[in-house]
Amino acid sequence: MKKYLLASIIVCFLFPGWVLAAPKGKLTIAQGTDLTSLDPARHGTTSEMNYDNAVFDKLYIFDVQGNPVPRLAVSHKMINPTTWEFKLRRGIKFHNGDPVTATDVKFSIEHYLDPKTKSPFASFFKIIKEVKIIDDYTIQVTTDKSDPLLQKRFAFQIFILPSKYVKEKGYEHFLKQPIGCGPFKFVEWVRADRLVLEAYEDYWAGPPLIKTVVFRPIPEDTTRLAELQTGMVDIIVNIPPFLVNQLKGQPGIDVQSVPSGRVILLYINTLAPGPLQDKRVRQALNYAVDKKTIIDKVLMGSGFQMAINVPPYDFGYDPALKPYSYDPEKAKKLLAEAGYKDLKVVLNSPSGRYVMDKQVAEAIAGMYEKVGIKVDFKIREWGDYVKDLLGKKLVDTGLIGSGLVMYDADGRLSLYFIKDSAFCYYADPEIEKWIIEARYSMEDKIRKELYSRISKKIFEEAPFVFLYQQQDHWGVSKKVKDFQARGDELFYLYRVSVEK
Amino acid sequence: MGAYIVRRFLQSLIVILGVIVITFIISRVIGDPVALLLPPEASPEQRAYLTKDLGLDRPLYLQLVVYVGKVMKGDFGHSFRHQESAMKLVWERLPASLYLSFVAVLFAIGVAIPLGIISAIKRGTIIDRIGMTLALFGQSIPAFWAGIMLIFIFAVQLGWLPPSGYGGFKYVILPATTLAFFVSAATARLTRSNVLDALDMDYVRYARLKGVPEFVVITRHVLRNTFITIFNIVALQLGLVIGGAVITEFIFSWPGIGRLSLESIYSRDYPVIQATVVIAALIFVVINLLVDIVYIATDPRVKKN
Repeated sequence: MKKYLLASIIVCFLFPGWVLAAPKGKLTIAQGTDLTSLDPARHGTTSEMNYDNAVFDKLYIFDVQGNPVPRLAVSHKMINPTTWEFKLRRGIKFHNGDPVTATDVKFSIEHYLDPKTKSPFASFFKIIKEVKIIDDYTIQVTTDKSDPLLQKRFAFQIFILPSKYVKEKGYEHFLKQPIGCGPFKFVEWVRADRLVLEAYEDYWAGPPLIKTVVFRPIPEDTTRLAELQTGMVDIIVNIPPFLVNQLKGQPGIDVQSVPSGRVILLYINTLAPGPLQDKRVRQALNYAVDKKTIIDKVLMGSGFQMAINVPPYDFGYDPALKPYSYDPEKAKKLLAEAGYKDLKVVLNSPSGRYVMDKQVAEAIAGMYEKVGIKVDFKIREWGDYVKDLLGKKLVDTGLIGSGLVMYDADGRLSLYFIKDSAFCYYADPEIEKWIIEARYSMEDKIRKELYSRISKKIFEEAPFVFLYQQQDHWGVSKKVKDFQARGDELFYLYRVSVEK
Repeated sequence: MGAYIVRRFLQSLIVILGVIVITFIISRVIGDPVALLLPPEASPEQRAYLTKDLGLDRPLYLQLVVYVGKVMKGDFGHSFRHQESAMKLVWERLPASLYLSFVAVLFAIGVAIPLGIISAIKRGTIIDRIGMTLALFGQSIPAFWAGIMLIFIFAVQLGWLPPSGYGGFKYVILPATTLAFFVSAATARLTRSNVLDALDMDYVRYARLKGVPEFVVITRHVLRNTFITIFNIVALQLGLVIGGAVITEFIFSWPGIGRLSLESIYSRDYPVIQATVVIAALIFVVINLLVDIVYIATDPRVKKN
């Protein structure tokens, strides 16, 4: 008895919210976009994943540093380099009371991998060869090759779906009335207007603290801000830097600013013959950009200079590398050495895709003119721009952002430097070899060493003009407690509470 | 008269067919939906599968033939982005657009028609000038600016109305006012010029010579004769705003078809782009046709021809 008492005191101390029990209050969150469907396997945006996080649960989730933290999985064991065993948490129930078992986990992984599902992230799980059910609470996952990222993959995706419910009621029914085992139950979805969720009191980690959660898609930034200012919504995402000051100092509202996992770069097409194949020219393009001024003036301070394209969030980030300095003289000298005194480049930029994208590109164009580079500046709408980018038709240079996915350098590097990737504009057999080696190595130390080597070479070769890591701003009403903005744009609401 | 209606009906059909073909062609040239649906990390096989699944691997003329055939049966296909048929997506959003448009047009009528009539009667006076300046102002201010200003004043500063969202009457006031700026400007100017034309008519002069009181001249002779044109203008404005309130719906996060069309264009969701454009065009054409029929039915001069 005493033991239980002590245990419950410790629990109360660790999670004070739990003892207060009964969920109460309503939390309204405004994001820029709506869901496209209610099936998490079909989702590709962070706005959608925030709904998924509320209604469903995964084997792992990422903590703010990017380490996988067990959720539905309690432990893992490597049987051999390509076989992993996961033990599942017992006693967890879906919203309809069905227990969560190994069958559901297998079903969910296979659902993501089924081409008919059209999961945007299917390629992240292609490495999985087989999922074997050992018993109700044990699964074995076999991969094609040794995969150091398997746990991280499960922290990133695979929301566990109710296999029995889907099989009995049909997939169409699931799409209308989804159930999961997450902290909130689905209530209602009115497209483009609102999504309503309600506390699931039998949640395995204790009942959530909020009774009702409402997601509202509000595409216009200024409108989102007005909704927060008038108290109609409690949390807003993506406040552009030029609107942040309007909120600062407002009573009842906090602004949470976090370094984003998104890195902004200027692509250089080194595959097409021409001056951009010369390393000195690419370095000159880097030296000619005054990143500090861009961050201070265009982004109003909402950015951090980057040495390469891997941010501190990622495993493999090398803190020893310092960003290219702003040195127009050196840029001119390098251009002269390379014999391109009157260099002409095309600079492409999307408009409205990234924070202040067009303005940043304009500033860069101005800086290039200063060192004597003639710039042909082209602004395009994202859908039109990405068509060229993926088709390897990008001319000279173009602004691009890369988002945080699995807190690991592999994704970001493979995307740009593996020849087969649709986004590859710089191919180097040595870098490619190292990337592949790091991808399948199970030793953190070896991987780190490899990424450091890759980073140094990338910095030297300058296949991009390295720019900055964005900073995200969230607006949060003071009524909301324990909400923490994250660099991956996701949030978990089961510990968040709201005061009336 | 019957023959005229049949002819107008056939013309409308041709217009719709034209819209169907043109939206098809335009949506194909503006970009690749597969590039937007999949994350950059997606594998080439995944891209190929999706391209095939969406039917985008077939030659363009074949896609067009299949598409036109399906559209004739009211089937615009499945949305690429949403797990839903394009027709259903539009259908769900239509009530919101109709609601907003009707209220906006009502607001506009309430302001613009009196404004237009008074300006015409007081032609050349300071009242006329103020009235027409207001109309010009209404026509020139962008919906984007007007909407944000209204939110700022009435929601943020005064706290009288909700800033955005879909719901009861208090939710529709701000977006409807934003739309009404544009609608009333055009309506007021056209009302004025029509009333002016009527004022110059011989029957008005005779009425005045006969000593009919000015009030009766205006209401019985002038307004009665201009009413049909004004009705015409208002109906066409309604047709325009039902599918055309793109910016207003976007700012006020109003779940209408204007916002849907914008979102589907951004994501190159061909079936939804086509469904929204074709249905908006259909509404416009039908309203046009109805206006014409009403016109014939009420105007004895047209009836004779």
